[in-house]
Amino acid sequence: MNKYFSTKMSIFVFAAPALLLFTVFCVYPLLPEIWMSLHKHDGFRSLGFVGLDNYADAFNNSSFWTAHRNTYLIVGISVLLGLPLSMALALFMDVQPPRLRRFFKSSAMFPAILSVTVVSQIWVAFYEPNWGLFNAILKSIGLSSWTHSWLTERRTVMPSIGLVFLWQYIGLNAMLFYTGIKTIPKMYYEAALIDGAKFVQVCMRITIPLLQDVIKYVLILSTLGSMAFYSHVRVMTAGGPGDVSRTVIYQMYYTAFDTSEFGKGTAIAVIFILECLLISFLIQRFVAKEKLEF
Amino acid sequence: MSKASKTAGLILLAGLLLVASACGAKKNDAQPSPSAEPSESSTPAASNSESQAPGEKIKMRVITITTDENRNNIMEKYIKPNIAKALPNLEVEFEPGGGGEDMANKLKTLNASGDMPDVFWDDAGYFTPLKSTGSILDLTPYIAKDGFLDKYAVPDALKHFDGKIYSISSGADTYFTPVIFYHKDMFEKAGVQVPTTFDELIGISKTLKDKGMVPAVTPGKDGWGPKLYMLQQMIQIGDPQAMADLVANKTDFNNPSVKAGAARIEQLAKEGVFPDGIANLDYGPAMEMFTSKKAAMLWMFTWELPNLAKDDTVDFFPFPSAGDAYDPAKFVQFWGSPLNGYAVSAKTEHPEEAVKLAEFLAMADALYFESTGAPIALKTGNPPAESSPLMKKFIDWYNPIPTKIPSLALNSLDARTSAELSSQGANLLTGEYSADKFAEAMNKVWSENTWFDN
Repeated sequence: MNKYFSTKMSIFVFAAPALLLFTVFCVYPLLPEIWMSLHKHDGFRSLGFVGLDNYADAFNNSSFWTAHRNTYLIVGISVLLGLPLSMALALFMDVQPPRLRRFFKSSAMFPAILSVTVVSQIWVAFYEPNWGLFNAILKSIGLSSWTHSWLTERRTVMPSIGLVFLWQYIGLNAMLFYTGIKTIPKMYYEAALIDGAKFVQVCMRITIPLLQDVIKYVLILSTLGSMAFYSHVRVMTAGGPGDVSRTVIYQMYYTAFDTSEFGKGTAIAVIFILECLLISFLIQRFVAKEKLEF
Repeated sequence: MSKASKTAGLILLAGLLLVASACGAKKNDAQPSPSAEPSESSTPAASNSESQAPGEKIKMRVITITTDENRNNIMEKYIKPNIAKALPNLEVEFEPGGGGEDMANKLKTLNASGDMPDVFWDDAGYFTPLKSTGSILDLTPYIAKDGFLDKYAVPDALKHFDGKIYSISSGADTYFTPVIFYHKDMFEKAGVQVPTTFDELIGISKTLKDKGMVPAVTPGKDGWGPKLYMLQQMIQIGDPQAMADLVANKTDFNNPSVKAGAARIEQLAKEGVFPDGIANLDYGPAMEMFTSKKAAMLWMFTWELPNLAKDDTVDFFPFPSAGDAYDPAKFVQFWGSPLNGYAVSAKTEHPEEAVKLAEFLAMADALYFESTGAPIALKTGNPPAESSPLMKKFIDWYNPIPTKIPSLALNSLDARTSAELSSQGANLLTGEYSADKFAEAMNKVWSENTWFDN
């Protein structure tokens, strides 16, 4: 059997269906999209070739930059805050007794399996400024001056939405880290224990270095997942008030569908694809370059 | 060729077949593809009913509004119980369309993908792209031929400015206008009177707030209120002529009266007339705040009047004046547009049956609104229903008003201007955005508004 599975032909055959589907549904649609981005287009027909005007228009639109600022804020929250917290949760889970560990595993996965709409609506109720949970708690402990109209004030709207995203996916990332931790051979820990290493030292010297492939995977997943952030915004604020909470994907949707300017919308999409490719390349190039085997 | 290569080839072929079948078009080749040029056919097309086997039902898809209580009532009480009997040859599948921008985007997407429903709720907001792609049927020859047109009190009111009829409705839209509903008992408890001027409105709102009540509520999320009526009302109460001019594109957002209207919205938000978070308040929660008496006033269209009239403590008053030029007995905004109503896809395989279905749906609307005592333009053949006292009060106020100004949202905005007005309107409601910024942003979009180019 091995001789069949180790040939180049068999590799091609097994990869072909996925490659074909990827080409048909991901690569091929890019071509008409690029073509559309060079035209004035209302979604149904081209209204004339405009060259790079749609791109220039996107760069000159303040909402485009607001959307970028918001998107990268979410990426920052997700990566700089979310990943360390997920890792801490995974390490914490790993040292718990089995029964407690099972509880934490279930709890960690629970938000991630809930529908985004359900989660967003629950948090909209929490954030409700007049009788929502957060303001009620703040008032009850004498911090009335800290209350906000969380989803309509410019300063608070994006961090508020970011917190929901963080809450929903922190557990999922923790589970991915935890699964990675479980693949590390026990002998390393036993050796560290004999040498008298403390928990923090074990984490810093053994666990995290040996998890670099998982960290890289979660980093790419979190970064690109946060860049595609849309559904929470759609349900919680519809990008508003005004354009205050639009992300790049929302701005693209708004431009294409709400204003019927599909040429400009696809120009934003093309720019965004290039950004995603660049970021993905940078992560691949600079994160976990050396292969560690154990 | 080796056995392994043959096996590999077969697997690859199977994969290709799988992809090909998944990508294959569902409809047969005879289905006309979306045309770049509008279809201008004005004669009833031959129905494809002949292709149906005897006894086999024709399948129809309908997408209609599903956001408010009236629509749910119409569906549950008038459509579902009667459709099988009224149209025994049809098997109708209803898809919830939502409302507002969601509905618009759904139909625009279906249109772009060539998957339009046979019958759908048309709206001025998304009519233009449907018409420009030849996706909406001119109903005139069909409804003239079967006599449905004669059931309208004013048939000409159904015509678009190109002289064709694209949508049929109960005609209740013409009687929808924004008013301020209020709870009489809450006003009494707070010791306030119905305001007759804008300043009085601000004054009573402060009193209501001091008494621990939310003064007024309206849907603000995605700029719903500001776009559909609030900006128009706030301009109109100061200078109705400026509002009429704006709707007719005779002025722009630099007009001092238009700017003053925007400034009034900014003032309302800053003075706390609306609850915190109004800019993110959806339709349902806004209604709930009023009906549960958390809010004393509800700024809303009269399509909610039949439901609100069930509560004896609810009354309404027109928007109070902000200047001598406005008198609520002389000027009013009306919602109606000939484009709002049930429409038929020009791509349907069964146009005659689809038109019959649209007629049935329009009649269901008419029967429902008639049962609430609301005025309608489509004759049902029933004797006039007994109106509630609130409805009588409304009709007695509304009908004699000599100047009815069309709605800006339905009669003056292309897709981009409409979307930007939503965004900018929501900004105004935050109280953190000045009327000057609003006017500047809107004026830029207004100068590129293509609505009047058609």
